[in-house]
Amino acid sequence: MKDQRIKATDFHPALRAFVYLMVIVFAMLTLYPLFWLFISSLKTNTEFQLNLLGWPRNPTFSNYPTAWRLAQFDILFVNSIFFTTVSTLLVIAFSLMAGFAFAKIRSKATTFLHGSFIIGILLTLQSIMVPLFLMAISVGLYDTRLGVLIPYVGMGLPIGIYLCTEFIKSIPDSVVESARIDGASYFRIFASIIAPMAKPVGVTLAILNVSGVWNEFMLINILVSRDALRTLPVGILKFSGALASDHGRQFAALTIGLVPMVVFYLIFRNQITKGVSAGAVKG
Amino acid sequence: MKRVVHWWTEERRAYLLLVLPAVAVYWAVMAFPTVFSFILSLTNYNGGPIFNNPNIQLVGFTHYVRMLNDPYFWISLKNNGLIMAVSVFGQIPLGFLFAYVIHRKLVKFGDFFQTIIYLPCVISTIIVGRLWQSFFSPYGPFTEFMQKLQPGWENELFFDPHLAILPVLFVILWMYTGTYMIIFLANLQKIDPALIEAARIDGATEWQVLVRIMLPALSGVIVTACILAISGSLKSFDLLYAMTGGNPARRTSVLALYMYDNAFRHSPKYPLANAISVFMVLLSFVLILMVRFTEAKFGGRE
Repeated sequence: MKDQRIKATDFHPALRAFVYLMVIVFAMLTLYPLFWLFISSLKTNTEFQLNLLGWPRNPTFSNYPTAWRLAQFDILFVNSIFFTTVSTLLVIAFSLMAGFAFAKIRSKATTFLHGSFIIGILLTLQSIMVPLFLMAISVGLYDTRLGVLIPYVGMGLPIGIYLCTEFIKSIPDSVVESARIDGASYFRIFASIIAPMAKPVGVTLAILNVSGVWNEFMLINILVSRDALRTLPVGILKFSGALASDHGRQFAALTIGLVPMVVFYLIFRNQITKGVSAGAVKG
Repeated sequence: MKRVVHWWTEERRAYLLLVLPAVAVYWAVMAFPTVFSFILSLTNYNGGPIFNNPNIQLVGFTHYVRMLNDPYFWISLKNNGLIMAVSVFGQIPLGFLFAYVIHRKLVKFGDFFQTIIYLPCVISTIIVGRLWQSFFSPYGPFTEFMQKLQPGWENELFFDPHLAILPVLFVILWMYTGTYMIIFLANLQKIDPALIEAARIDGATEWQVLVRIMLPALSGVIVTACILAISGSLKSFDLLYAMTGGNPARRTSVLALYMYDNAFRHSPKYPLANAISVFMVLLSFVLILMVRFTEAKFGGRE
């Protein structure tokens, strides 16, 4: 039996060299700026101006506590964690519930309701920021936690409902039917059979939603003005705008903001890439 | 009595209660604002109470005409077009190339490169924007490199209205190529390796395998990627907001930023902003329908 894979030697050496070059250049374009950011965050402003690219002569972490305090990172982290966790849990719960109804309970309303969510997959979220802002003001939800949370749940639902409906459809109807014959209510079936079986799709949704909400900037930027409700992207931008010439601290703040997502990514790398390709649907 | 409640079966009640939370939230914050925005765009509403406000009048398509006569609208639209071009003709081919190279093991450490190339996508766009802004700024490494290559080089990237969009386009290319690589990679892995092996044994070259087997197998995914790239390019906002703020002289504005400026900077012009928002929704659907039409006409085999 021959090896199933085509050997790399089947390719022209010049082609391989070219391909290597492309991949290495692209990787360097990611690694170098991040490296530069990190070493610059270890420099004082005086040193930064004299020594733009090199390794710091006297590396110091002193920019970090100052940046943390000035940008109020403790508030930013608490808010980011709050919005991310609560919206993710609600998106998963609501999507599984509706997905179960769409997939397993026959109703004439399904085509229309399910279809409305599918359109939402391609809706440009940017286009609703002004009406959403005006609505938040007129119903008194401007500058409140709830006023941020509801849109965050809403924006996660289209892809959530699509994935959950598809997943629950793949569970055989007989599972639901036999439980019905045994006298179980739909809620009982949902809680004890469907929800536990849907764990993989729940993980995918959690991954998609966590990275979406954690990095969300546009909506919270217009729906909130109080410092107490700011999340990491908003707080970091405000801080780095105000201290644009204070390079060391600005770079320290950016580094602090970078670390959580990079760590999250390195831990859940496989689930994230699976989630991204599962979420790539054209609606 | 029994006849009256006959339609209210347990099945219907369960259905209603299960879909209600999702439908209520989604319709309130996603579907309704789209309609609401269209209605407001036809009025002169510019803040204040929405209900029982005697000053609100229907003004027809005045604001759309104003939008079409605004030079900044056309600058923004052109920039969205440039971003779309970079997405469709830059990110997708590059993403495919990287996916192919990694899948066929043309380079060693494919896993490592995959991780690094996708990394920018998980970082907050705001941080990416600030980082690259510093990187390309006169005190950043880019200036330093250019001055080593060409002494006396002046960095006017963020001051010259004609050049300012270039760093942005570069960052967009850099940032999202990884997404397409991941999507193509996942779908390349679905192709049965036996099929490729059989073709190779029958004497097909690697090029023929690519053109006759892989690309046709991926045609559906390529269409999806194009749709994602088009709708994605209309979504550009955060990066520009953090990187250039639309400047210099609003030359790096995009539609979303143009709308934001009209609604939230200086004195609010909500009706105009709503007209822009409606235009964006329509544009994205028209573009997507065009891709679908092309797909139907020239046949995308899954």
